[in-house]
This record gives sequence, C-alpha cells and structure tokens, in this order.
Amino acid sequence: MVNCDQAKEYMAVSWRESRNDGALTEHLAGCAECFAEHSTLGVIWARLGDIPVPEPSLAMNRRFQSALTALSSEAAPAVEQHWRWADLWPRNPVWQTGIAAACLVLGLAAGANWPHQDKEIAVLRDEVASTRELVALSLLRQESATGRLQGVEYSGRMKTMEPEVVNALVQAIERDSSVNVRLAAIDALGRVSRSEGVVRALTGSLGNQESPMVQVALIDYFADAHDRAAAGAIRQLSQRADVNPAVVERSRVALRELSQ
Amino acid sequence: MTTAATGAGYDPQIDHQLMILVARGNLKAMSEIYEHRHRSLFRFFFRLTGRQGASEDLVHEVFLRMIRYRHTYEGASGFEAWMYRIARNALTDSAKRHRLESPADEGQMEQVASGRPTQLESMMKEQELALLHKAMRALPEDKRELLVLSRFQGLSYEEIGRIVGCETGTVKVRVFRAVKAMGQIFCQLRAGQLHEEKTW
Repeated sequence: MVNCDQAKEYMAVSWRESRNDGALTEHLAGCAECFAEHSTLGVIWARLGDIPVPEPSLAMNRRFQSALTALSSEAAPAVEQHWRWADLWPRNPVWQTGIAAACLVLGLAAGANWPHQDKEIAVLRDEVASTRELVALSLLRQESATGRLQGVEYSGRMKTMEPEVVNALVQAIERDSSVNVRLAAIDALGRVSRSEGVVRALTGSLGNQESPMVQVALIDYFADAHDRAAAGAIRQLSQRADVNPAVVERSRVALRELSQ
Repeated sequence: MTTAATGAGYDPQIDHQLMILVARGNLKAMSEIYEHRHRSLFRFFFRLTGRQGASEDLVHEVFLRMIRYRHTYEGASGFEAWMYRIARNALTDSAKRHRLESPADEGQMEQVASGRPTQLESMMKEQELALLHKAMRALPEDKRELLVLSRFQGLSYEEIGRIVGCETGTVKVRVFRAVKAMGQIFCQLRAGQLHEEKTW
C-alpha cells in the first residue's frame, strides 16, 4: 500500500490520465486528507483547460518565412555579377528617366498579359515536396516496423508521389517482414498510384505473398486499378491448393470485375 | 502524448528526421518543422509570459536558434526535449533582458478571457477564469513552467524530466506541488473577491 508521499506522485499521474491506479484508489479509501486533496486539486487541473489562448498572428509566420528565405540564400553561393549590371546603368539623368519610364510601361504591359504564375512559389513547393520525399524514404528505411509504418503513412499523405517513393513502397510490399507495413504500403499506393508499371511489379509479387490479408489487399488493388494484366496472376493464386478460401472467393469476384 | 502537443497528429519521429536534414544543411526542412510546431510553442510561451508579442518573438527566436545550433542536434534525447530546452533557454535570456520574470501585466490575459458579459452565469464563469489567470500568473516561475509543460504541452513526465533535467518521480511530485500551490492561490483570490463584493 502506498503512503501519503507516494500518493502525490500517483495523483499527478491520475489527473493526466483521468483514471486512478488501483494503489491510489486503495490509499484514498483510507485517507480522508488525500481524498479531499485529490478531488479538489483534480478540479483545478481540469479547469486549467478552460483558460483560452489566442492564435499566433500571421505576421509571425511571414516573419519566420522571410528569415528562413534569407538564411537559405545566405547558405547558397553568392552571385558576383551585379557589378557588371551596375556599370551598364547610364550616368545621364535624362537617360535614366527614359529607361525607367520604358521599364514601367513594359512592366505594366507584361503584367497585364503574363500568366499568373509565381515561379518562386513553384520552386518553394518543389523544395518542400523533395524534403517530404527525403523524410518518407528515410522513415521507410528504419529498422523498427513502427518507423517504417510512419514512413508509409507519411508517403500516403503526398498528393503526388515521386518514383523513388513509389519504388520504396513496392519494395516494402515485396520484402517487408511486417504484414502491417505491407498492408499500409498497398493502401498508400492505392491512394496515389495505379500506374501500369506499379501494377506489373505488384503482379509479380502476388504469388510470393503468404499472408491472406496481403493477398486480398493486392487483389483489391488490382481490381480497383482495373488492369486486366493482373488477371493471370490472380487466377494462378486462386488455383493453388494452400490458398485461404476467403482469398479464393475474393479472386473470383475480382476476376469477374476485370473481365467486364 | 507528444502528438497532442503538435496538434496535427505528427509524430516526433518525423520532426526528428526533418531536423537531421536541417543539420545536414537543408534549411528548407525547417519550414516543415515550423508548420508542425509553431502553434504549440506559441501557446507554451503565451501561458508563461501572458504576452502575445513577446511570445511571438520567442517562437521566432527558438526557430532561429534551432537553425543556428543545428549541428549540435543528435536526437539522442528526442527532438521534443531538444526543442523545449532551446525554448527554456530563450525564455530565460529574454527574461534577463526584459525582466519578464516579474508577473506580467494581466491586460492581454484578461482580454482573452473576457467575452460578452451579458448573462450572469457567463459573467461568473469569466470571473472564475480571470481568477485562474491571476492564480497562474502568481505562481512562481518554475512551478508555472512545470504546470504548462505537463498540463498543456502534452509531454509525458519522462519527457519533462529530460527537459528540466530531473527524475520522473521528482517531476510528478513537483507537478503535484505546483497544482496545490495553484489551488491555494486560487482559493485566496476567490475569498478576497467575495470579501470585496460583500463590503461593496
């Protein structure tokens, strides 16, 4: 049985987890002082959640993004050509005014007709996409199955998938030791990519799969992709003597769908 | 636990991987970490300082420091603990510069708490919230920090231990004491308010 000092540690845990440990419950039943303290302070703990906090301003985000852009460009190699352009600028104020006016007119005309594309945003998007790709690939190479699952889950969030990520997911389906990782990879690929190349790669993998759940998930993937090239592999699998009846049944339905 | 802190359900493992990229020189990866973490860090600082502008400055400072000290990132104790250690140092430095350690004026905190006092019930609720704010502000800095880390930032007691540099059991006892101190201050404030209302 815990004493009053130990009960304090248990109380701190019980407020966080909204449940009492057996040892704490036992102590509270026999100690009126701790019982009163636990319930009174529990109310304070709960009420703290009602204290509102404002949202950070958008200016904070803009400030950080511009600082990051500046730091990133500092890290990039400096361009040393600007002095040549400066030399081209005329010293005569009349010419300067004329060139400035011409630039203004040209700028206005170009601005009115130019397609609305922001190249900088496009470049930034590309960079963020490649960063995500690196993270996904790095997670997919983790030793722990949980880490690889996170990688698969992270890949599945991408709107478009780079070939390297698709390849890593196909490899996960073929070779990963965890059934959960294989299933998650099939699901992630199904959401983003049903290209002919991927279907072909997975068709080869179907016969090597031993888990009925993975077999069914792959058959569903082929049926959704509606690629008739997979029909042969599905038929072959369903004719094997060691195949689970549920897989045979799902194969039959998928073959019918693919033949339509 | 930590996913609650980040909001969007991001796992710290993802930020750990991103931070490794930053440490290798890919600064753009910090943009993604910022997306995951800036709100949570802002709330952390706001709850400790009660000041919107100062909290935003501190968030900015933390991200700049993470970039500046990126080569020191090893990730052995986890991204979360590393980030909060930087956050605590930034707060301490800022407090030294701006004397933030003295209780902040409660203007902004009360602005947040006060809504539209039309109904008696909602007025009473707002009064209670304002008292909770005051009690929070009146807590000693170390107790307030532990309370914020454990109650609001979604960190486990083990992670808090790694951040503040003490044993998990000690963290639990200190959190208990912080809640108890908070309760005592709150009761004193409420008694004072009742006394004021009666004499008025």
